[in-house]
Amino acid sequence: MPASCLGESRRLLLLPLLLLRCGLSAGSPADPAVTAKDASHSQASSLTKMQAGLLESSPEPMTTAQTVNWQTQGSSSDHLTLGRSVSAPGSDLATQEFKEATKDNITFVKYEALLPGVSGTSVEKNIILDSATRIELSCRLDKKYSHLQSQVTWKKGNETIRYINKTENSWSIKLQILDSSNMGSYSCAVKSEEEISAEFHLQVPKIEGREKPIVSYGGDTAVMMCKSSGYTPIAWTWYVTNGSEQMAINASLAEKYVISSISANVTHLKILKLTEEDDGEYWCEAAFELGESRARLRLRVLSFMVPLKPFLAIVTEAVILVTLIFLYEIYSKKKENHAEDEKEFDQVEQLKSEDSNGLENSSARHRRI
Amino acid sequence: MTVRERKVVFALKLVLTMSPPVSSDLGYIPPDGGWGWAVVFGASISVGFAYTFPKAFTIYFKELQAVYSISYSQIAWITSIMCATTYGGGPISSILVNRYGSRPVVMFGGLLCGIGMVSAAFCTSILQLYICVGFITGFGLALNLQPSVIIIGKYFLKRRPIANGLAMAGSPVMLCTLAPLNQFLFDNFGWRGSFLILGAILLHCCVAGALFRPIGADTASVKMQKIEEGKETLKEEVTKDAMEMSSPANVPMETKMEEEGEKDCCEKINQYLDFSLFKHRGFLIYLIGNVLMFLGFFAPIVFLAPYAKHIGIDEYSAAFLLSILAIVDMIARPTTGIIANSKWVRPRIQYFFSFSIAFNGACHLLCPLASGYTGLVVYSVFFGLAFGMVCAMLFETLMDLVGAARFTSAVGLVTIAECCTILLGPPIGGTLIDTFGDYKYMFIKCGAVMVLAGTFLFIMNYYNYRMLTKEEKERKAKEEDPKSVRTENEGRNNWNKEATQGGPELEPLREEQEGLKKEVNGTNEV
Repeated sequence: MPASCLGESRRLLLLPLLLLRCGLSAGSPADPAVTAKDASHSQASSLTKMQAGLLESSPEPMTTAQTVNWQTQGSSSDHLTLGRSVSAPGSDLATQEFKEATKDNITFVKYEALLPGVSGTSVEKNIILDSATRIELSCRLDKKYSHLQSQVTWKKGNETIRYINKTENSWSIKLQILDSSNMGSYSCAVKSEEEISAEFHLQVPKIEGREKPIVSYGGDTAVMMCKSSGYTPIAWTWYVTNGSEQMAINASLAEKYVISSISANVTHLKILKLTEEDDGEYWCEAAFELGESRARLRLRVLSFMVPLKPFLAIVTEAVILVTLIFLYEIYSKKKENHAEDEKEFDQVEQLKSEDSNGLENSSARHRRI
Repeated sequence: MTVRERKVVFALKLVLTMSPPVSSDLGYIPPDGGWGWAVVFGASISVGFAYTFPKAFTIYFKELQAVYSISYSQIAWITSIMCATTYGGGPISSILVNRYGSRPVVMFGGLLCGIGMVSAAFCTSILQLYICVGFITGFGLALNLQPSVIIIGKYFLKRRPIANGLAMAGSPVMLCTLAPLNQFLFDNFGWRGSFLILGAILLHCCVAGALFRPIGADTASVKMQKIEEGKETLKEEVTKDAMEMSSPANVPMETKMEEEGEKDCCEKINQYLDFSLFKHRGFLIYLIGNVLMFLGFFAPIVFLAPYAKHIGIDEYSAAFLLSILAIVDMIARPTTGIIANSKWVRPRIQYFFSFSIAFNGACHLLCPLASGYTGLVVYSVFFGLAFGMVCAMLFETLMDLVGAARFTSAVGLVTIAECCTILLGPPIGGTLIDTFGDYKYMFIKCGAVMVLAGTFLFIMNYYNYRMLTKEEKERKAKEEDPKSVRTENEGRNNWNKEATQGGPELEPLREEQEGLKKEVNGTNEV
């Protein structure tokens, strides 16, 4: 520990020099995005180097770079406490602790997973991030497992990360997610007789295409739409599958393809003058700060004969039904006429036979009214 | 007995045992069965298409929006135009039915629907879609809806509420079949192919129309001939008794001849579309009550699924609510028909109608209290029940008030008046939702409007029933007085006055036990 304290003081002295250097290369300080990107690149490179060289890396120069990066990004109100470098075997990422910067563009989020008491199970959480974020992941154990304190490990993929925060029964790590390499799965595991773990999946937002194929006809126009709900992508790109490869659709082919966006979250691809060859798979890709996300759409181009057959079948059926109904009506009318003639004949006969009684009956009936 | 006397007896028997030319309004006794059930089946198909086609059409909106790059409100105009034309085309429909009868009109309507949808399959702009789907198909559906309802009144009298209930039950059945069918067609054939095939499916309206065998004209003309023969023989024997006995038969003959003599402009128009209905008390009550009711009738259905999604229910469960509604509706309509036909309810059917409207309103008022999915399911069940009850009796009550002969014109006039409020209802609800950000005000508005309409109808129909019984008594008093029967003019005037007042067929139904003749005379008096 005393050694690292000395190291700290050395770092602090070096700060102003490095500040200047970074300031010159980073472009206008008013452009936080650019700064962040530069910083993230250098940080990324440092991190990857650290991951690559597991055993032999000396943390100190790397952490210097890290510190400097954060210094240029953050505002002057940032209070930096430099973390301790780890002396444990294997490589550990030193993560820095810092307070929330109110003037910063980067958001700070905290996610917590509650570890279940059942062994062999794992809790999974999907976290969707579309822009650079500071994130704190923590795992909390039930009080009855407090005897397992010292055996909680955090991992990214297969590499172990040292936790920063430890309260009574929760362990957490803080991460700066600045580009796609930081994304992935982070897990915390409690090792004992039982294996209890929680996994955090950091992902880019998913975009919606259409699962069912879009059906259109030769010579017609087809419109394909992709939507990103909630998160605004930086750019949209469309790909068409040609054989086994995917070709990006160039907006220059204006007679065939028209790419338009009604809003930043929605993109349309209009294909004009469809032919059979346009049948196939299309991909729309949304580029976010932290990666790309794709969705698949399928287009089917039919000829006009396809719906024509059911159409003709149904029309024929309707005509046949109408004809049958009319024929039945003519037939039943003929039957009715025959029956009526017979009935009339009978009635006249009846009247003739009931002559005198009939007159009295009818008048009596009428008077009753 | 002399030959003459025999002929008199024969004529009398014909007149008194068969249907006389004048009875209620129809001129014959409706069969109440037989081919009538085939007509009900055809009517349910027609009515089903007319009511559910606009609703089932909404599946295509998303795709059409994307293809033509238009907003939702622009695409929603298609169904608005369709609904407006279906209801607004009512008077034209009535005029055509008055002139040509139901069958040719329905078949032409079916053809028009088919042509509209087939031409819509080849449309290249949204304006063309408005015309093809909106106007042409909408007008075709109008030519389907009114004649189907009219012909039920011609085929049924005693069992008319059941027939009406069954015919109106076609609407939810058709909705349950059309909606998944539309989805299937759209997935397999895209929107153009679907329109083409829907055009073919709509041709089945022609099939339904073929079932509408004309009645009244055919059978009545044959009997008219025989009665004319009888009339001639009676005229030869100028005796007071013979005159008295045959006056019911004579009166319409002479009235008709007089009518032919003095056909002025008003009467000519009234022959096609009976504007004199506006002097009819019952008709006016029905008109005002229904116009008010439709302001809050359709909006809750339109907004039920969005409301469900708003309070956090997922899309499929929200759609399932509508299915529950349709299924309950399907069962409620024929059941209401059966109940309305029972001897306790039929004489007071207007009260039953007002009660069902108020019940509907009460459901809407209680809806905001429903919390969670179970609450909404309960609401859907009661709403489906109330909706079915109102729809089943919608046309039955009008027929009951104005009588079957004038119903042709009445239905046309009523639908064009309702057209405005039907179209205004959902947008007003939508504005309420947008302004307050909360769905409960829309439900409260709909509920309040319907409860108000129900109460209005209840009170006014109570007044109407009282007036009718009073007029009944006056009429009976006059008829028992022998002096009035002698003067044909007075008798004819009474008959005319009664015809204008119309009135429910209470008489024949109350005294059914006395047999057919009593019923004939009873409707005569009406």
